[in-house]
Amino acid sequence: MSNTIDNTLVVEGLSGGYDRFDVIHDIAFRVGRGEAVALLGPNGAGKSTVLRAITGLLKHRRGTVTIDGTNVVGMGPHQISRGLAAMVPEGRRLFVGQSVEDNLRLGGMRLRKDRARTDQLLQSVYDLFPVVERYKAREATALSGGEQQMVAIGRMMMSDPSLMLLDEPSLGLAPLAIADLITALQQLRERKSSILLVEQRVDIALEVCDRIYVLSEGRIVDEGRASDIGTEGRALIDAYLG
Amino acid sequence: MLQVLLSGLTVGTIYGLVAMAFAVVFYVTKVVNFATGQLLMVSILLTAGLVRLGLPDWLGVGIALIASTVLGVIIYFVAVRPVLKFDRFSFAWLVSTLGIAIVIQATFAIIFGPASQPFPRGLHQIPVHLPGATLTVQEILTLVVGALAVLGWELVRRKTLVGKLGMAISTDPEIASTFGANVTAYAVGAFAIGGFLAGLAGILVGPITYGNPYLGDTYGISGFIALMIGGIQRPAAAMGGGLILGVLSIAANSYIGAQASDWFPFVLVLLVLLLAPNGVFASGDSLRKLFRRRSSLTVGGRA
Ligand SMILES: Nc1ncnc2c1ncn2[C@@H]1O[C@H](COP(=O)(O)OP(=O)(O)OP(=O)(O)O)[C@@H](O)[C@H]1O
Ligand SMILES: [Mg+2]
Repeated sequence: MSNTIDNTLVVEGLSGGYDRFDVIHDIAFRVGRGEAVALLGPNGAGKSTVLRAITGLLKHRRGTVTIDGTNVVGMGPHQISRGLAAMVPEGRRLFVGQSVEDNLRLGGMRLRKDRARTDQLLQSVYDLFPVVERYKAREATALSGGEQQMVAIGRMMMSDPSLMLLDEPSLGLAPLAIADLITALQQLRERKSSILLVEQRVDIALEVCDRIYVLSEGRIVDEGRASDIGTEGRALIDAYLG
Repeated sequence: MLQVLLSGLTVGTIYGLVAMAFAVVFYVTKVVNFATGQLLMVSILLTAGLVRLGLPDWLGVGIALIASTVLGVIIYFVAVRPVLKFDRFSFAWLVSTLGIAIVIQATFAIIFGPASQPFPRGLHQIPVHLPGATLTVQEILTLVVGALAVLGWELVRRKTLVGKLGMAISTDPEIASTFGANVTAYAVGAFAIGGFLAGLAGILVGPITYGNPYLGDTYGISGFIALMIGGIQRPAAAMGGGLILGVLSIAANSYIGAQASDWFPFVLVLLVLLLAPNGVFASGDSLRKLFRRRSSLTVGGRA
């Protein structure tokens, strides 16, 4: 299945880690074009490490990570950022001391010469998140957690990447903010974005994604279609996530 | 009184430029380049040497500035990049930049000898009489250059995309790189600006100090003290620290005793470190909190 052409992301035999110790082992999965895929797993399973390997932040990695037909293993983050992948990092990590709009424009750095496209992307972020437009002049890190998460998603959208990566966007959000987040993710999906969503909340993953993979101790231990997973499967995954 | 203030500001601008050279490098790379003072020395001695060889003053100055800028970049590639590549969080740069400072100093001591070298007097010979004080054109130029350095830095930092990206790199290089920031290019740029600012300070102070290979230590330490006073996080604050140090040092010389500026800066920096560990101009430090508490108390008192 992984050799079908219409995949945005194909990961094969990916291993890697920090200081010579591997924390992910021989990982294989894919994200089809326009598909939303969830990567579930308990704390310390290696989910963020997988995303770091895809964005180029993880230096020690082996195997292949193919985005839009390009193997990015061996490429640095600023090369991969040129339209291949962009990320909402764990904990949001907005640029401190800068306004909401500056954060967004920095997300669109790679397109800075194409003013029309940048403005168009900015408008699409504002259309998706009216509250972000309302607060565009405020310092980004002064917003509430939910609002900051929207800015982080907007910043990712601004680079107009083939692959969108989100690392536990629900973390630390109030129930109401989570409902907004789910709506936003569904809208991204309707725009045919290719999405890899890392989550610990199975309910969010099942609501937003087409397929899921379960990661445990650095290995993929299960996968399936979201629609096939009944209450039984859900209980099983919940048990995995412990 | 005015003379003390203006002389202090002039000397302080020199300290401030060196402090800014430290701070710009730290801002981008979180590395303290302990060879910064030596870059000042290099520009002074090169100017002195080139002019003695018969080059016109302006050409000597120009070549010296280019040399200190390029040397800044060389320091990055020789002493900083290799050790950061090995371990991004190690403090090995502390040893490697100090090491390269010693190498530069020794090299110039061998070439020029320990004796003082004449520096072109140039604009320093022209006095300007103000009501209550006398400065030289060189000193006025120093004040102008210092102001322009801070203004230019703040303008680029706040108003341009290049500056905003620099700010993003300063606070989160990892995430900035995932949005296309070339962190290495910025590091090179920071060391170049640092080398240029230190070289500029050298050219401006050269007519007063003349050239000798050990000037790097003197001005490196003063610049570092200014950095501690102003705060290492922001280059503009580093210049502020330089001005405070300059004015108080000159004041100490005139009101305490002739050699007071030898020990006074150290007392000053000790006080600053106790009261405002992050520098006088850092946000959230204890000095500011103290003032804020005072003002909120008075507001509360009125209510
Ligand atoms: N910078 C690092 N240096 C060394 N080890 C690390 C580093 N970051 C993560 N690890 C280790 O790698 C393993 C996987 O961590 P990772 O952050 O990928 O897990 P995760 O699935 O994202 O967990 P969480 O749900 O808590 O975010 C953990 O054992 C962790 O301790
Ligand atoms: Mg994680």
